[in-house]
This record gives sequence, structure tokens and C-alpha cells, in this order.
Amino acid sequence: MRKKVLLVDDSATVLMMEKMLLAKGPYQIVTARDGREAIEKAKSEQPDIVLLDVVMPNLDGLSACAAIRTQPETAHIPIIMVTTRGEESNVETAFRNGCTDYVTKPINGIELLTKLANILGLGGAA
Amino acid sequence: MRPFLEKVAAETREYVQALLDENQRLSNLVAELDNRNREFTERYVEIEQQNTNLANLYVASYQLNGTLERDRVVAAIQEIVINLIGSEELAIWQIEEELDALTLIGSFGINAREWAGIPLGSGIVGHVAYSGERYVVTESDAKPFGREQHLTACIPLKLDEKVIGVIGIFRLLQQKQGLEPVDFELFDLLCSHAATALYCTKEAVQ
Repeated sequence: MRKKVLLVDDSATVLMMEKMLLAKGPYQIVTARDGREAIEKAKSEQPDIVLLDVVMPNLDGLSACAAIRTQPETAHIPIIMVTTRGEESNVETAFRNGCTDYVTKPINGIELLTKLANILGLGGAA
Repeated sequence: MRPFLEKVAAETREYVQALLDENQRLSNLVAELDNRNREFTERYVEIEQQNTNLANLYVASYQLNGTLERDRVVAAIQEIVINLIGSEELAIWQIEEELDALTLIGSFGINAREWAGIPLGSGIVGHVAYSGERYVVTESDAKPFGREQHLTACIPLKLDEKVIGVIGIFRLLQQKQGLEPVDFELFDLLCSHAATALYCTKEAVQ
């Protein structure tokens, strides 16, 4: 059973990197380029999980995370923040805004795949 | 009666010994399986790391060579340094031959005005542009100082052996402990591919 993953990042480089890492797993990929589009796609696509960047135009990832959490139709969707911001205060803010987990850039493939698999109950680094 | 009991005792001893031997054999088997499992896990981690590294290099190359627009090439270089190498303080200069100097064509997280122009040969950045030799703080005896004190790496952009520009990478992201082998491969890739991509944008305009 393929899991739908919503990748959100304003950087084409990061989106391509994430797509490549997830390509060999049981994942269907949907993308968005900013926080506002992420909220819309979370509603319309009903992904199994969202990988969300923090620093983005229009609406940042932290605000998008909070919005996805507060809307009844998307509140259940797990969110992994994927960001350059590794400072403790940013991690705390992200968890306060409702993220499920946190990954820093540069992306470590094993870390990301393992967290995805654990959250989605795939029982291993798929 | 006694010979019978001795026989039973001997058979019991033999049976217990057989069980102990079997127990030992199974323990050895479990230990061997543990070792093999550990080896497979280590191999899996190694292969996944290689996959990530190859993905990094492929993505970097694809992004650099996917356009003839100068702004997009500069943006691609910035994205590679920020997201794949892990630094939000960088500068990209090109050589202006008639001025014997470097001029800034892109930057992120630094004071652009302060780094707008650098004479060839001046400081580490100017020296890299002049010599064509890559500078990495961990590989060099020359420690950066003054405004270059946070310089981590300086990569010449070369077409054949001609330097056409330089990328300066200052502080790494907080969570990044240091440069890794794949970063050096990305430096090599930037050295040639970024130079080619920038050169092609110039040609396309002309």
C-alpha cells in the first residue's frame, strides 16, 4: 500500500533531493512550494504525511504547520519539519506548533527514511 | 540393582551432556546470526549513505546544468551550498579581467556591500582566484583572520584550468559538525559544473 507524501519546500534542489530519496520506497509524491499551497494540498490531497520546510515565501512552515493542525480535516496528518534551522528554540517552536518530528538539513537519507517509516508504521527504513 | 542405577546415571549424564552441547551449538549460532545481522545493518547504513551522496551529486549537477539563465544558475549554486553542503553564509564572485578583481554576483547571509569587490591575490579569496587552488580551513595551515575569519572553504570555478570565479563558504549550519567526504565531492562538482553553467549563461546572452 503506497503512502502519499506531501513535500513542501520553495527550493527545487531540496524537492528533487527528497523525491530521489523517497523514490525507492512505497511512496506517492505530491509537492507544494510554500506554506499556503501546503495547507491547500493537505486539504485536497489528504496525504499520509507532510514533510515541511520552515523558511518559505507567502507563509512560513511553522505557521503552515499550526494551520494544518487546527483544521479538522487535516489535524490528524503527521508533519515532519525539514529545515536548516537546527537551533533548540526553533525545534521547540515547531513542536509547540504541532509537528510530529523534526529533521535538519543537509538531509540525512537514513534518518529521514527511518522517521517516515516509523511514523507511517512501515516497520523499517522503507 | 547397583549396575542398573549406574547405567541409568551414565545415560542421564550422557543425555545432559548432549543437551549442554546442543545449548552451546545454539548459542554459537545465535552469536553468529547477531554478527551477521550487525554486518548487514552496517552495510545497509553504508549503502544508504552512498545513495544519499549520489543523490546529492546528481541533484547538484542537474540543477546547475538545467538552465541558461544567469540568475537561476546563481540561485542553484546558493541552494546547493545552503541545502546540500549546509551553510547559510556564502558568496559567489566572478573575475573581471580588466579590473584584476573579483566582483560579487550572488550572496546569502553576508554583508554584500562588504564583499562587493576583491582584488586578485588579496586575502584567501583573492589568492584562490589567483592561484586556482581550493582552500578548505581544515586542510590548510593558513588560518583565516579579519573579515575572512569565518571562511570554511573557498572554491575556484574553473573552465579547463582558467579560473572564472570563486565561491566562498563561511560558517556552516549549527547542526553541521564539519565537512564530510561528500562535501569535498560537491566542491569538485561546483568547481567545474558551476563554472561551465555560468560561462554558458554568458554565451547565451551574447
